[in-house]
Amino acid sequence: MATLASGASSPLYAKRRRKNAVAMTLAYLATGFGLTWLALILGVLFYEGFSGLSWRVFSEMTPPPGASGGLLNPIIGSLVMTFLAVLMGTPLGILAGTYLAEYGRYDKLSSVVRFINDILLSAPSIVIGLFIYELMVAQMGHFSGWAGAVALAVIVVPVVVRTTEDMLTLVPDTLREAAASVGLPRSLMIQKVAYRAARAGMITGVLLAIARISGETAPLLFTALNNQFWTNDMNAPVASLPVVIFQFALSPYKDWQELAWTGALIITMAVLALSITARFLGGERKKS
Amino acid sequence: MNSSGERPVVDVAFQGGGAISAAEKGDRAKILKRLRFGDNAFRHVTRAAAIAVLIILSGIIFSLVYGAMPAMQKFGITFLFDESWNPVTERFGAIAPIYGTVLTSLIAMLIAVPIGLFIALFLTELCPMWLRRPIGIAVELLAGIPSIIYGIWGLFVFAPFLQQHVQPFLISLFGNVPVLSNLFAGPPYGIGILTAGLILAIMVLPFITSISRDVFEAVPPMLKESAYGLGCTTWEVARYVVLPFTRVGVIGGVMLALGRALGETMAVTFVIGNAHRISGSILAPGTTISATIANEFTEAVGDIYTSSLILLGLILFVITFIVLAFARLMLMRLNARLGK
Amino acid sequence: MSTANYTVPTVAANPGNADNLVEKITVKNLDFYYGDNRALKNINVSLYHGRVTAFIGPSGCGKSTLLRVLNRMYDLYPNQRATGTVRLDNDDILAPSQDLNLLRAKVGMVFQKPTPFPMTIYENIAFGIRLYEKLSKPDLDNRVQQALQRAALWNEVKDKLDANGLSLSGGQQQRLCIARTVAVRPEVILFDEPCSALDPISTAKIEELIDELKEDYTIAIVTHNMQQAARVSDFTAFMYLGELVEYGETTRMFTSPSDRRTQDYITGRFG
Repeated sequence: MATLASGASSPLYAKRRRKNAVAMTLAYLATGFGLTWLALILGVLFYEGFSGLSWRVFSEMTPPPGASGGLLNPIIGSLVMTFLAVLMGTPLGILAGTYLAEYGRYDKLSSVVRFINDILLSAPSIVIGLFIYELMVAQMGHFSGWAGAVALAVIVVPVVVRTTEDMLTLVPDTLREAAASVGLPRSLMIQKVAYRAARAGMITGVLLAIARISGETAPLLFTALNNQFWTNDMNAPVASLPVVIFQFALSPYKDWQELAWTGALIITMAVLALSITARFLGGERKKS
Repeated sequence: MNSSGERPVVDVAFQGGGAISAAEKGDRAKILKRLRFGDNAFRHVTRAAAIAVLIILSGIIFSLVYGAMPAMQKFGITFLFDESWNPVTERFGAIAPIYGTVLTSLIAMLIAVPIGLFIALFLTELCPMWLRRPIGIAVELLAGIPSIIYGIWGLFVFAPFLQQHVQPFLISLFGNVPVLSNLFAGPPYGIGILTAGLILAIMVLPFITSISRDVFEAVPPMLKESAYGLGCTTWEVARYVVLPFTRVGVIGGVMLALGRALGETMAVTFVIGNAHRISGSILAPGTTISATIANEFTEAVGDIYTSSLILLGLILFVITFIVLAFARLMLMRLNARLGK
Repeated sequence: MSTANYTVPTVAANPGNADNLVEKITVKNLDFYYGDNRALKNINVSLYHGRVTAFIGPSGCGKSTLLRVLNRMYDLYPNQRATGTVRLDNDDILAPSQDLNLLRAKVGMVFQKPTPFPMTIYENIAFGIRLYEKLSKPDLDNRVQQALQRAALWNEVKDKLDANGLSLSGGQQQRLCIARTVAVRPEVILFDEPCSALDPISTAKIEELIDELKEDYTIAIVTHNMQQAARVSDFTAFMYLGELVEYGETTRMFTSPSDRRTQDYITGRFG
């Protein structure tokens, strides 16, 4: 039998090994490069953010330039708008996801909705801001917390639709059949059995949606606008953490810039906490 | 599942067996009727919710078109090619923001795609097992960090750094090279097209990495083993087997990231410089569609100004829609191949 | 399959005179671990040039694991390690300094399922050749044709060499994979249940092919199918729970096994 035309010393093989070594080095370097940037960003964020972190941040209103103050009103504003957005967006998302997974898994409507939903999932959020501006702000004649909440809700919907559908699809058909065989009608089967089986995953989806909207700035810029003061009125402009960060960071005032860093740290911590919880809950499940 | 005329299984569930009297039969008919009603109602509610997703999309398109109407009527197709952006004379054109949007995204993709693919390669083929999960989780968490964080970091840390250290070097390095000297013409502002492109690159990097890693992991191990079995090196397996096998998925992932980059607002707005002009130099300030809208919308006075900004938004939406639709089609093709 | 032999399958031709056999691969005191789990226990076995050795045994007995030691395929995965000595001619396969790419070019492998690469039929073959040799286009064409002929596939694909490898039927794909392996000019070919995903007709073709290939190569085959082992192999090794229970000429193994467990297995009493 013919032996191998080239051994360890052949130039062709040496060239292949060199190529491989170069590529492998690049892979290591790329990983190092990526991790370095991300470490730098988080490092600076923690350094700058922590230095401004104090009790005052959570107990005082946003200050005028040159004065000291906190971030209480934007924090509350963000919490309230996020809460309302989830309250509006989640049921709609869950119901739509239910249709895609349970009733219309293979029909034409579902494939269209699925496709459109996936596009909405990554649509530019600033466009959603414009949409709600036209829909609500221009109609009502003023900016409002409600408009901000609705804009965020529009972002929540596709996230929840997607995870709900994915999670319900994972529920084994045998479970559905078992429920049907004890005489449960379809709607009850979905509500009592399928939802329960998919619950952890669906909660994960909601948490991810919250993480997503809690940092969203663009859709709030011209819906909820901003407000330097405390307000209970969701019909008035409402401050939110991301918008305040945007405004303060671009201002020339040192105090404001420092508060912007602190606000950025708070948002990041919140988002990381949410993502980790979501991961933990969704744990062993495979992603889409 | 539909309980038709004959004895449905529901009976058993509600009765626990045994004989059924005539009176009970009547009750059961009532229960059945109610159940059937609830069943139908629930079905229709979910269907309505699914349709609502379509309504949201149509609402976005309709409201943008409606809001952009005055500008469309006034400028017509010239809006797309006009470089002027003058609120005083009320003459507006989109070419500068479109140029900035496309160029920043292009820079971001040029940098982030190869690096992201190499990181994914590292994670699937090279990384020791015990490190895979931590790095994988880190990548995913970082993909979720809000873009405003990248923006504020870019403004306070990255832009000054570029201004002091990198840009002067680039300017002097390419100063005497034809073509490139125009591309890297000074002065070093710090903020500008290049800075925005770099920030975008850092931002979409975890995104590209995470998608391509998922796609790479979908390659059947036996296929990779048979390439190794021929004596292929790791790089050859990746280059000739893994990449071709996952090509459509990788393209889909890259397009998805491109869609993100094109529409990204906050990471860019901080560092782009907001200058409505097309400069040959990528070190010069510029603007993008989203940055223009974010910066000017609330301060825009007059219908035409506002309407022009909304028209910009419409253009952005159309561009990203096409890119994202293409991305989804590619990813669907990969899944079809894998038999999912 | 003859009706007379239910329990004792028909047996391949006489493996020949044991005196002029050349040892190609020698396994001595081999242990293999998945983490802390000892999957192979003190294996000693030899593979001979020009002969087919079949590894049989119930699922999980370690026969596939043993095969994957011979080309160090296990190196792709963490926490798997082998101790002992495995020699290919005089070369220590398990040596840390062993060049895995060269080793695997010498020890080819065909898998349970057909694994054509995502490229054309022609490229599937040419790809492996190009790794080691720089050939002119006509030479390369020639080698591709030879390899496909060797795998008895040439006549079926000669008009569609530019078609995707995935467009072939399962049996054809598996022969394509064999052609791909042969094209690299290995010295040893490992077959890991090569017919488990194929229909009976394709299986017969592969078995025929193995019989033809054995003149030039050292062949090891893992199989679940005892009939197949009896049909294609000269030597048979029976493995059970990570141990090599019995090893010998196929004829003897299937007619008069010396170990009780071998006898039970080949008569279908367990596994």
